Amino acid sequence: MKKILLSALLSAPLWVLGQGFQVNLQGQKQIGMAGAGSALALDEASVFYNPGAVTFLEKNSVSAGVNPLLFKSAFKQTGSNVTENVKDKIAPPFEFYAVWGPKSNKWKLGLGVYTPFGGLVDWGNDWSGRYALTSLNLKAIYFQPTLSIKITDRIGIGAGFVYNHGDVNLQRALPVNFPDGRSGHATLEGTGKGYGWNAGLYIKTLSNISFALVHKSKVITKLDNGTAEFDVPNSLRSSFPAGNTFNAELPLPSTTSLGIGIPLSQSTTLAFDASWVQWHIYQDLSFDYATNTPALADTKSARNYRDGSSFKLGINHQASEKLALRAGVGYALSPVQDGYVTPEAPDADRYILSAGLGYTPTRHFEVNASFFFEDVKSRKQKNIETGLDGTFKTLVYAPGISLTYKW
Amino acid sequence: MVGEFQMKKYILNSFIAAAILFTAACKPEIETPAGTSAGQANFSKYIAIGNSLTSGYADGGLYLEGQKAAYPNLIAAKMSSVGGGAFTSPFFTEEHSNGSGYISLTALVNGTPTLTPVIDKLAFRDPAKHLDKYSGEIQNLGIPGMRVDLSFDPTLTFSAANPFFERLLTDAQVGKTNYFQYIQGRNHTFFSIWLGNNDVLGYALNGAVTVAGDPTTVLTDKVTFSSLYANLLNALTAGGQKGIVATIPDVTAIPYFNTVKPSVLLAAAKAANPAAQAVFIQTGTGAVRVATDEDLIRLPFQSAGLFGQGTIPYGLHPLNPITNNWVLDKDEVVKVKDYVNSYNSSIKSIATSKGLAIADTYAYFNQVKTGLTVQGIGINAAFISGGAFSLDGIHLTPRGNAVIANVFIDAINAKYGSTIPTIDVTQYRGVKFPDTK
Repeated sequence: MKKILLSALLSAPLWVLGQGFQVNLQGQKQIGMAGAGSALALDEASVFYNPGAVTFLEKNSVSAGVNPLLFKSAFKQTGSNVTENVKDKIAPPFEFYAVWGPKSNKWKLGLGVYTPFGGLVDWGNDWSGRYALTSLNLKAIYFQPTLSIKITDRIGIGAGFVYNHGDVNLQRALPVNFPDGRSGHATLEGTGKGYGWNAGLYIKTLSNISFALVHKSKVITKLDNGTAEFDVPNSLRSSFPAGNTFNAELPLPSTTSLGIGIPLSQSTTLAFDASWVQWHIYQDLSFDYATNTPALADTKSARNYRDGSSFKLGINHQASEKLALRAGVGYALSPVQDGYVTPEAPDADRYILSAGLGYTPTRHFEVNASFFFEDVKSRKQKNIETGLDGTFKTLVYAPGISLTYKW
Repeated sequence: MVGEFQMKKYILNSFIAAAILFTAACKPEIETPAGTSAGQANFSKYIAIGNSLTSGYADGGLYLEGQKAAYPNLIAAKMSSVGGGAFTSPFFTEEHSNGSGYISLTALVNGTPTLTPVIDKLAFRDPAKHLDKYSGEIQNLGIPGMRVDLSFDPTLTFSAANPFFERLLTDAQVGKTNYFQYIQGRNHTFFSIWLGNNDVLGYALNGAVTVAGDPTTVLTDKVTFSSLYANLLNALTAGGQKGIVATIPDVTAIPYFNTVKPSVLLAAAKAANPAAQAVFIQTGTGAVRVATDEDLIRLPFQSAGLFGQGTIPYGLHPLNPITNNWVLDKDEVVKVKDYVNSYNSSIKSIATSKGLAIADTYAYFNQVKTGLTVQGIGINAAFISGGAFSLDGIHLTPRGNAVIANVFIDAINAKYGSTIPTIDVTQYRGVKFPDTK
């Protein structure tokens, strides 16, 4: 007689991307300098930071590195005296680079495999925001073959094609209860792909001050036929059919960076990068389910991101022939507007601090290590869509190490 | 050697200490004032005055799970961090945890619910269905069926007639007291009172028909309500105690009256027999007319097995209309709303004159009726799926209790400058759905 309409249960958003998902860990030397360095031809990580600088690298090289990342976020509901923390999970952003070109030629080839976006947040199944999200594991792996050419002795350009392989696993509780009182659960899992490019210009002036202009394009990553599993009481099964799938799109934003490199002395270099992250493409997030029911409609959730930006200042000091020391500071402005902050990416403006060192025992080998720290400001928010009301505070810790072989 | 060993130990200890410090520093901290102050209030002994809503009655019965999730119990638990003391309630025992019995949802087929009474672990102590007695002091004083007018029952007979009241009384008290007397002398420092719903609901739930000789179906006179309510508050504040009063929700905000709509009945009738033209009701004046969705039909009608029955199909022909006691017709709705508004303005003005906090549940339930989202949970006044109302369509689920407890807590904190922590609504369930097809 009375149709049970459960549409409200699923009208809440399923995920959101934020600055929190942009992982600024693509090369140990640059990480040690807070992520600055697009205007320095430092090493093979220039494949990512500035393809235009790759051709100015003196040697051919391969390198691999990893930055185990601990994303420590806390939440306190408005009015509550209980602070809830995400579980300690280590995300593994990594990078692999190879650069090769005939010596004293005008061009070099490069390959980069790196993780510019990702997120690993697990709030557990019992926390107070569980109906917005319980966990998210998002990985975007970019593959970027690159060509870099010297136009003059002081100007280089380079460009790479980007293929993105994305993985996402997103889970949340559903506010329907089993006879024993426990909640339902939704798991959305999928793999997607997208394409883009990365191009850069590198200019070294006569005063040896260098400039960089780099644009990394947006990568619209399409997820097709992801699995949508709903653990609900059997009496609701017809509303949440088994074996359902979904399609969705992840718009990973473009970034334009302007970099300056200033040699302070023979052994010390200063680098400054300003980046403009064009998150405005992220206006809404839509999920298209293969099977719809009155309770399971396709969703289109407003995101209304604005562009984000970051400013990073780093210093590289060659303390001896074998030892380099690095440090950096930075500040990033969040693209997430008030009312749109979510537990997936509890985003806010953030401070960045970093330190690093490099050791070169032989002329072929190099070891670089870094420590990267972000202090994401405390932000009290009531989400417009979920009504999740409380304060988020996040700290990010990422130590890292890489090995390089040069010839 | 010893020195070197101690040096190593010292370095090791320093390293461990540094690691511990680092891990501690790792943890993000969020500082808020919640749970630090009672403000101008004293929560050391809180008592809750009220009816079924206060007692934790749900799903058409009073049972242990509901009692534990009653909003006063949830509030009292949160008061403990700001000086609140123990809070005792007349819980049924684990052996008799299903108390008076209740209804559960046992099937849901194409949106049609099957509701089945739970009949095990009941707490009846005799064949006349008197409930297990509870002796000992209690602070949750909510009694299902209690009304403002009957709190002052001059005949003192309601204390014997109401089994939920009777179970709390000694044999010497039964039939010899009324609620007004019962709640006094409890040395409370803080109180809540959510009473008066039944002064109008008792009438409305019977289709706006007052049954002769049944005081629970009377519509309490507005002036009487106001003066009796003032008496209650005078008694509760006699020692200068602070407290909170709650307004009465609009009866049309509950699923009991907004689920069985004439348009839905007609659609169902047409599906069975395209010849069906209209749904007919008998109004409070005795007139028979075509029903519109402004006429509210009581929830139990959907399982009463009456509709469309008989040679003159029930409810589908002017000669066999849905009888008056099933319907709150649109004129009766106006009347009932008018009484609710009048009671509420009395409640608010008396409370304001005494400087008490006000939980405006009338306003809040109107928001629930429109639908709102709390901590990721969509909540509305729809039957079963709305999440706030239990299977009787009137009383709250544990989730509904948690939501309304926060309305009380917010009002208390705003009035007295206290910082009682709010309740995590997500820890409380809505309706339990059967796990069978």
